[in-house]
Amino acid sequence: MRYLFSRREWLTQTSCGFGALALAGLTHAPVLAKEHPLAAKKPHHPAKAKRIIFLFMQGGVSHVDSFDYKPRLIQDDGKQMPFNDARTIANTGNRGTNHRIMKPLWKFSQHGKTGKWASDLFPEINKHIDDLCFIHSLHTEGVAHGPATLFLHCGSTNFVRPSMGSWVLYGLGTEGQNLPGFITISPSPGNGGARNYGTAFLPAFYQGTPIGKAGATASELTIRNLTGGLPVDIQKGELDLLRQLSQEQIKRDPAESAYEAVAESYERAWAMQQYAPDTLDLTKETKETLTSYGIGEKVTDTFGRQCLMARRLCEQGVRFIQVTYGDASANPAWDQHSNLPKHADHAKAVDKPIAALLSDLKKRGLLEDTLVWWGSEFGRTPYAEKNGTGRDHNPGGFTMWLAGGGVKAGFSFGSTDEFGAQAVDNKVHMHDLHATILHLLGLDHEKLTFRYAGRDFRLTDVHGHVVKEILA
Amino acid sequence: MRQFLSSWTILTIAFLLLGTHRTTLANDFFEKKIRPILIEHCFQCHSAEAEKNKKLKGGLLLDSHEGVTKGGDSGPVIVTKNPAESLLLKSLKYQDDLKMPPKKKLPESVIADFEKWIAQGLPGLPKAGAVKKNSAMTLEEGRNFWAYKPIQNPPVPMVQSPWAKTDLDRFILAQLESKKLSPAPVADKATLIRRVYFDLLGYPPTLAQVDAFVNDPSPQAYEKLIDYLLASPQFGERWGRHWLDIARYAESVTLRGFIFKEAWRYRDYVIDTFNQDVPFDRFIREQIAGDLLEAKDLAQKQRSLIATSFLVLGNTNFEEQDKKQLRMDFVDEQLDVITKGFLAQTVTCARCHDHKFDPIPTKDYYALAGILRNTKTMEHANVSNWIEVPLPVEPEQEALLKKHEAEIARLQDLIAAEKKQVDPKTLGVILVKDVKGIVLDDTQAKKVGEWMHSTSVKVYIGEGYLHDKNEGKGEKTLTFQPDSIPAGKYEVRLAYSAGTNRADSVPVTIASADGEKTVHVNMKQNPPILGRFVSLGEHRFEKDGQCYVVISNEGTNGHVIADAVVFLPLDKPQDKIVENKPNADRLKLLETELKSLIDKGPKRPKTMGVLEEKVIEEAKIHIRGNVHNQGELVPRNFLQVTQPKPVSFPKNQSGRKELADWIASADNPLTARVYVNRVWYWLFGEGLVRTVDNFGTTGEAPSHPELLDYLASQFLQQGWSTKKLIRQIMLSQTYQQSTTGNEATLKADPENRLFGRANRRRLDAECIRDAMLVISGKLDPTRGGPTFPENLSSDYGHKTSSLRRSIYLPMFRNALPDTLEVFDLADPSMVTGKRNVTTVAQQALYLMNHPFPLQQAQATAEKLLVENYPNEDARIIAAYRLILGRLPNEKERGLAQKFLQGKEAKPAWTSLVHVLFATPDFRYVN
Repeated sequence: MRYLFSRREWLTQTSCGFGALALAGLTHAPVLAKEHPLAAKKPHHPAKAKRIIFLFMQGGVSHVDSFDYKPRLIQDDGKQMPFNDARTIANTGNRGTNHRIMKPLWKFSQHGKTGKWASDLFPEINKHIDDLCFIHSLHTEGVAHGPATLFLHCGSTNFVRPSMGSWVLYGLGTEGQNLPGFITISPSPGNGGARNYGTAFLPAFYQGTPIGKAGATASELTIRNLTGGLPVDIQKGELDLLRQLSQEQIKRDPAESAYEAVAESYERAWAMQQYAPDTLDLTKETKETLTSYGIGEKVTDTFGRQCLMARRLCEQGVRFIQVTYGDASANPAWDQHSNLPKHADHAKAVDKPIAALLSDLKKRGLLEDTLVWWGSEFGRTPYAEKNGTGRDHNPGGFTMWLAGGGVKAGFSFGSTDEFGAQAVDNKVHMHDLHATILHLLGLDHEKLTFRYAGRDFRLTDVHGHVVKEILA
Repeated sequence: MRQFLSSWTILTIAFLLLGTHRTTLANDFFEKKIRPILIEHCFQCHSAEAEKNKKLKGGLLLDSHEGVTKGGDSGPVIVTKNPAESLLLKSLKYQDDLKMPPKKKLPESVIADFEKWIAQGLPGLPKAGAVKKNSAMTLEEGRNFWAYKPIQNPPVPMVQSPWAKTDLDRFILAQLESKKLSPAPVADKATLIRRVYFDLLGYPPTLAQVDAFVNDPSPQAYEKLIDYLLASPQFGERWGRHWLDIARYAESVTLRGFIFKEAWRYRDYVIDTFNQDVPFDRFIREQIAGDLLEAKDLAQKQRSLIATSFLVLGNTNFEEQDKKQLRMDFVDEQLDVITKGFLAQTVTCARCHDHKFDPIPTKDYYALAGILRNTKTMEHANVSNWIEVPLPVEPEQEALLKKHEAEIARLQDLIAAEKKQVDPKTLGVILVKDVKGIVLDDTQAKKVGEWMHSTSVKVYIGEGYLHDKNEGKGEKTLTFQPDSIPAGKYEVRLAYSAGTNRADSVPVTIASADGEKTVHVNMKQNPPILGRFVSLGEHRFEKDGQCYVVISNEGTNGHVIADAVVFLPLDKPQDKIVENKPNADRLKLLETELKSLIDKGPKRPKTMGVLEEKVIEEAKIHIRGNVHNQGELVPRNFLQVTQPKPVSFPKNQSGRKELADWIASADNPLTARVYVNRVWYWLFGEGLVRTVDNFGTTGEAPSHPELLDYLASQFLQQGWSTKKLIRQIMLSQTYQQSTTGNEATLKADPENRLFGRANRRRLDAECIRDAMLVISGKLDPTRGGPTFPENLSSDYGHKTSSLRRSIYLPMFRNALPDTLEVFDLADPSMVTGKRNVTTVAQQALYLMNHPFPLQQAQATAEKLLVENYPNEDARIIAAYRLILGRLPNEKERGLAQKFLQGKEAKPAWTSLVHVLFATPDFRYVN
């Protein structure tokens, strides 16, 4: 693949090299030529959200213990009742097997002006409840983490397909030039690993750039190869020489556009190297901001840093930002098959940072055109595991919330049955949510296609309907 | 008036159509009760209109009698006048897998209306409507499509120019001449040798090799060079890598980073195949059906078994809970790699419906899938396992192994016997503190349901034990969960006391880092260990990971007993718990001996592979690809468009051998064409058919169809020899052309579809890395074998400092080698006949900041500095020749000199080399 760049003049006429460029304190990086595959593209229709932050709660937050209030669970606590359990059906085909109802472990009360019922698992997020748009009727595919996590990210439980962030970057390009357009902070290597931010058959430059990895310390939160090579003065000298030698090579065959693209890639790399560390450097923030995200407190420090970094990336025009609260284990963080009270530890780690992120985005006017998306690959069953202390996976009905760019605030859509077991009313399949999120970003999920192996592929395959009811 | 007229018209038409008053009433019912519902909830996806808008779902039309009776992909939706049996009603009632409308169940009263309507025979519904059409090519049409026609041996065209030296050249020249264009002259020798080295070995020549070739005046110099390189063992390391892209070769799966410990054998097999020039048809047969082939000797038997790893290297989601689904997903992936890899067909498009464009009906998909479905690829569990089969060995080795295995068995028996000897002190009632390991007594168990405390049988730990009173079956569980447990491997044991009133099959579930496992304990029998414990197996636990044991009384037929659960650490042998026994020392001695025997003794080699299923059967069509909705039975077969004759398959074998024979047949119109086109692409950077993995109707047509057929027939005539094919192409003038073509040709054919010049090509990731290692002299030339520690448990964050050729870097799906990844390595989860070529900032960052290029630059600089050159200028010239394969011009020499001036030699030279690695010329080949 070859791209034409209008960078020749800059390359051949400018007298200042890379070093001078940096010394001059360049405020804008070179703008990508229109033909560049990552250049910002016109959406299919006017976008309500220019970018998205996905807060991925890996492992499956229990919706019936958090945002989906089911009084019947309290009433029938401990009773055995028949349910269509997804795992049982997948393993044996049996429906209507008996399970013991387990009441929510956290107290529910009404919050905000809307009087929305929510438990006290996330007290800080509850303070923003009037800004959130809940979808209570999600359902998805895959009973185990592996398949369901891939379905959430790539729209398929098993086929190798591009991730959502890659689709978005392919459809919209990137606004900021100094950073990759799709960044995933602390991704987990488990349950699909790199496939969850991979490009599959889309060209490689649409791939998500990982910053750090699950379980790594805050100091490891950086982009690969961003620094580390050489002292700055030596590197500047090298880049000056490189520019001059490349120029000579370009002259040997002026018809070869690929050579200019190589030269241009160093300009971008240099710009990235100048600006990305600043963006990733949280010490630039005020003490007040740091405190609000819970940075410096043991429990919230890690996720607080990741959320704050997400805001900083968002300001730099990064198109798709994912923050994963997860780990590197086969039974990811929120996966409480036993010991459901452990949910509280995870909630404590994310509650304050998420609330701070929402306030911060709002204060800076960013929430208007940034979509915040919160949730897990599936929910949890309203009944207990055999051990009586935890809940199993529930892909049949669960809750996610959206906030900001283009969705109704203080709104709830769809519902599960009276136990929270299955989505029944205004059901929203994960394909539908994908279609809706693409719609908010200005993309028509049926038009966002890529031809591979002789056919047009989509994130939503041949499914998906935009959930118009939640659009602001 | 107008309104009146139109109402009147409708009424008249209604009467005309329906005739009687009775049906009018029925029609009224339809119009009032049914049609509005259909319009609001169904027609969006199930009507002629929906079909027109490409919104039709499940192939089902509900807007006509014909559509409803015919049904959709799941078959008819109504059974005439029998609502209860009608799928339509079942799905409205949400009784079935299929729930319609999908968003919300309709009110009961509406469903009752539909029930009535179906019972009456769908009155009111128009008779006919749009019938679903199939837009794909028919089989007959397909047989006239170029790719499915038999391979011809076309006559060699006559040409004017003496430029053409071989027949291949004549095909190329004929097209150029027909457009009044000329080809490019032959590239200069220095350029040519760099190209040839990269193409055949994957790295650049040394200065001595360049000099020898450039200074060889013999007209055979070039031919000799090609033959020499084709015979080098490094040839297989370059060409094997091409095939590994197609075989989606990797050494782990992304799911939990599980390691394919034996996959390297397949990689080495592929390298050997190219080095030995094993005929391509044999290569096909070995990979698809190696386990079923006759072998002439042991080496060939081993090779053939290893080859079948090809079938199981996919990035499978072994955790899929629906194992029927998993089985078909696995088959689908195998079909994809086989049909794309060998036939360049997108057969897997036909899994859910007939292929939309190509003449491949769903029936063909299941005819092929039936063959692979008869092949066993996994052992199922919560997380299923792939299959490793033992490799046959030489008789002497076999004798050694047998002896070794017998010795192990003997020691195990001795240990078992020793363990049975029980210290009287450990009998009866004992204290918790006297039990080794992490002990959870019954008092620490979390109880669900009512459990009774008891001490009546005097064999227990601590205060007593619990039983379920033999009541409330399925309602009671006990969960033993340690507060925390150090990460590692443990033997988990359950203590109980036996008795005739006990249950004989108590489900006990152990949740560990590897998921959940349920075992059944017979409590009528005496506990085998110390008369007190039964082993629940060895399990791995992670820090903060799941760790608990659940004892349930579900489905039990007697008293369920639980006394304690014990976790015995196994990781550190010195900490290993030795039982309270009089013979502890002897036991310890025996166990140490056993471990050392296993560690030091010979190991039976294994390979990833497949087995034949016990039950050989034909597959049924899976409607819409749904494993739980099966239709018509389809006999095993191949693609009908290429194989109109019926085939007979053995009743006791999967049919893979027949499948391999059909693909590896000279009569198959696709196989030879697809492969010679791949080889052409690997040598020219573009195929004669540019869509190398797609020879279907959505792919591109060949630029030189006669040449493609000529090469394919030559390839068949030459016994499917890859080396002969490569040699034939490389000795042509066409291959040897310069990249700087004739001006007019360049203008008329900017994309170089006519091959009137050589393509300038970006080096593959492996070539970029290997070139740096060859130039620096740091390459570790070790060939073959495993490339990571045997005990590696997952690929997460794996790093390697290996300086071996790139093909020998561990190919881990969660930790791809970073040099390779940044330069467009093929995604090892998919069939990749053609890699992407991108130029992105991440590559620049890599070359600027990653330690690897810097280390190679430093080594290269040191090498250049110790070599003798008359002056700095000569050294710069040498550096250019070594790194870029050409001489620097005066300006370039001047720039380099200026850069080096006044600086300390070593760091300055390191920088210069580092910069040359970063220049465009380094990563391109002319």
